[in-house]
Amino acid sequence: MLRIEHLTKVYPNGTVALKDVSFQVEDGEFLAVIGLSGSGKSTLLRCINRLIEPTSGKIIWNNTDLTALSAAEMRKVRRQIGMVFQQFNLVKRSSVLTNVLSGRLGYVRPSQSLFNYFSPEDRQRALDNLDRMGLRDKAHTRADSLSGGQQQRVGIARALMQDPKLVLADEPVASLDPVLAHTILKHLEWMNRELGITVLCSLHFLDLVHRYATHAIALKDGRLVFQGLPQEIDDAQFKAIYGQEAERVSIV
Amino acid sequence: MKSSSTLSALFSLLVPGAGQFYLGKRGRGALIFLAALVQGYLIYWALDNFKIGQVTVANLQTSWLWLLFVLFWGWNVYDAYRHAQGRRSISWPGLLVIALVVYFIAWQTTDVRLDRLVTRFGNALKIGDDIIHPDLVTQNESGAWVPSENFYYIFGNIVPKPAPAWLVSLGLVKEGVEVPTFEAGKIIETIALGLISTIFSVIFAIPFSFLAARNIMSRVPDGTVIYYVTRTFLNVMRAVDTLIWGLIVVLWVGPGPFAGVLALTIHSIAALAKLFSEEIEHIDSGPIEAITATGANLFQTIRYAVVPQIVPPFLGYTLLRWDINMRSATIVGFVAGGGIGFFIVETIRKSGYTQYAAALWAVAIVIIIVDYVSAKWRERVLVGTTRVTTEPPRPFYKSLRAWFYIVVGMAVFVYFWQLCEIDLKQLLNPAPTLAPFVANFVSLNLSPEVVSTVVREMIVTIFQALLATTLGALVAIPFSFLAARNLTGRSCLSSWVYYLTRSLFNLLRSIEALMYVAIFFYWVSFGNFAGMLALAITTFGLVGKLFSEAIENIDSGPLEAITATGATRLQTIVYGVLPQIIPPFVSYSIYQWDINVRMATIVGFAGGGGIGSLLYNEYFPFSSYRSAGTAVAAIVIVVAVMDFASAKIREKMV
Repeated sequence: MLRIEHLTKVYPNGTVALKDVSFQVEDGEFLAVIGLSGSGKSTLLRCINRLIEPTSGKIIWNNTDLTALSAAEMRKVRRQIGMVFQQFNLVKRSSVLTNVLSGRLGYVRPSQSLFNYFSPEDRQRALDNLDRMGLRDKAHTRADSLSGGQQQRVGIARALMQDPKLVLADEPVASLDPVLAHTILKHLEWMNRELGITVLCSLHFLDLVHRYATHAIALKDGRLVFQGLPQEIDDAQFKAIYGQEAERVSIV
Repeated sequence: MKSSSTLSALFSLLVPGAGQFYLGKRGRGALIFLAALVQGYLIYWALDNFKIGQVTVANLQTSWLWLLFVLFWGWNVYDAYRHAQGRRSISWPGLLVIALVVYFIAWQTTDVRLDRLVTRFGNALKIGDDIIHPDLVTQNESGAWVPSENFYYIFGNIVPKPAPAWLVSLGLVKEGVEVPTFEAGKIIETIALGLISTIFSVIFAIPFSFLAARNIMSRVPDGTVIYYVTRTFLNVMRAVDTLIWGLIVVLWVGPGPFAGVLALTIHSIAALAKLFSEEIEHIDSGPIEAITATGANLFQTIRYAVVPQIVPPFLGYTLLRWDINMRSATIVGFVAGGGIGFFIVETIRKSGYTQYAAALWAVAIVIIIVDYVSAKWRERVLVGTTRVTTEPPRPFYKSLRAWFYIVVGMAVFVYFWQLCEIDLKQLLNPAPTLAPFVANFVSLNLSPEVVSTVVREMIVTIFQALLATTLGALVAIPFSFLAARNLTGRSCLSSWVYYLTRSLFNLLRSIEALMYVAIFFYWVSFGNFAGMLALAITTFGLVGKLFSEAIENIDSGPLEAITATGATRLQTIVYGVLPQIIPPFVSYSIYQWDINVRMATIVGFAGGGGIGSLLYNEYFPFSSYRSAGTAVAAIVIVVAVMDFASAKIREKMV
């Protein structure tokens, strides 16, 4: 179980990105995080694995307060938290296989990994995960020669290598063609349903939230303005989250 | 309204630019003020130092250039008046006056004597004849053509020599037995200098580049201080040309190839570290975030997210630097000894112009090859292999070819190391000349005579570079159209024209300006004019290539659109081509002026005038190291300012 208590983040330039946010995620949920650009979604996800240090508040995951951990302890926890990014964040010049294997870095001996050595089992798992993503034959090509949708699947394979209990997906489909969005989200749904991984995913389109999420929260200007089931977001809620001028748009 | 326009005109009448400043056009006001200041100083300085424009009016020695200055002042008042009335003003009269004043003074101080180009044309013919008859072959007694002694001296020869120790210890030959040994020629030594100094400079540039990268240092406590200190240090090191470093290192380790390597390395470390640090600053932070999120530690993050991003650009810049170092290695011998530069100085001293010509051709061939190879490899490294394959790549240690390259590379490295007479112990055991030199050098001589001499020669150097850039660029413009693929067409004749022009550019820019000086001082005699012409020739080659590439890169869309409106060919060029090529042409010319100022600081080492001749002929030979310190400080300031200004101007233009 993941519990966020009174989380606040103030950037050094004075911007308040998160203001006293509290909510709770049960194991096995697919939680959608919605809100306008700049509402604090990315900051929230990055505070959970402390890529961004929260200013105050607590993040309690399986009875451990992540905000109180030392850097070394946090690295151990990060191994179990996969992350998927809007811009994929692959190392473009490295091969697809190396990118996937890098998900294993928290587990292997640091000295060996510096020479690009990974155990045969890890290599096999990487290939299996690529196979699952339909990219087995791309293992030895350079990451930047892949299309956007393919790169994001490599990103998911990298997260899978971590044996994650939790996956943080930061706008995983925002840089992709709408048609490809479903492919990516289906992979996340599969991880959630079949592997029992808790997923926190920020999304733009309400359709996608209705289709994939089991729960939803909404942020506006760094504040939590909604918490509940996706179906509960009615027109009034929608206007509250996105502003009075907002219109609903749908995605095929 | 009326009063405001009179008022601003009045302001500008009192202080140039003040009216414009008052009207809120601060940039324009500041520029006008600065232009007036510089013009006034130049006119005064030119009269005082060279009696340029001197006229006597009622027993008063003055310069007629002040008339132009008054015109500029008048234009400035008019400009303020027009702006105050909210009407458009015209800038060109002001610019024209500035250009007239600057170019007139530049022309006079650079001692341009066009008549000499004609009256001494016989000398040009003589040296032209020598250049197309280099001393490479000779007829032996039986009348057959064989390589001359000079050929062996440049390229190398196989001579019997006592066997080296390693052959003896392997038991292959007995001690004292003579075996055929390759004695490297001067051009081989030059290649060694270029390669070894590049390797050294990469090794030292990498740590410096991290200290000079803002994004890295901002995460380290006190990093910003280290960042600024490193940046400043690198900028100073970079502003001092390789050959000036050559003068200095000779006092440290004595003349020879090792001094050459040191001089090349010092300048190259600074230049590479700057490029490397900019590359580190442009790194994509996404992968770093992703790898950190997997729970990797700092070293793993660097290994998997940072190193793959920086290795290709680092390699690319190293190859570029290798190309530049090879060029510098051909001239470093002028002052430091070692390489073909030293040989060239000797041939010039003995007026052995056919030997000089042979060296020139050898340099041209080597540099053209290096230029080509470096560009090809750079392209390969930066684009990389986008092979699509299902096979895993074979690890390099299992490929025979990789081992072959490693062994050959090591052997070449060891051989070149010996050829360069590298002696690291000597660095810790400097010549007795070093300590007094450093002590004097840093305590600048700021006496009025020295300062005014240094300032005078510095201004002359800047003018030399200005005239050379203008001349080289103007001549290059028509040629660059001939060397642009998209304009020459595909017919047989135009292909020939294309290749000929391109080859001419490549040939001329492969030789450093310093080497051309010898040709021009034979033609027009020593001094600023010879140095300016030498600079103009390299400028022609360098700028011609850049210009023709700029023409090749124009967007054909607008041309199509203008042709479609029914415009004539000339109209298409005026409205479609010119607007696209003028900005890059001006930008490249400014960039070249910046480069030429650096080059102009050293043309004096071969008799080309400017501040280089002050250092080389007066300050260093007579151990006036305090004055030398002043001159080098002036160079550092001017080069750094030019570098900064030209980068800013070009940034604005794009």
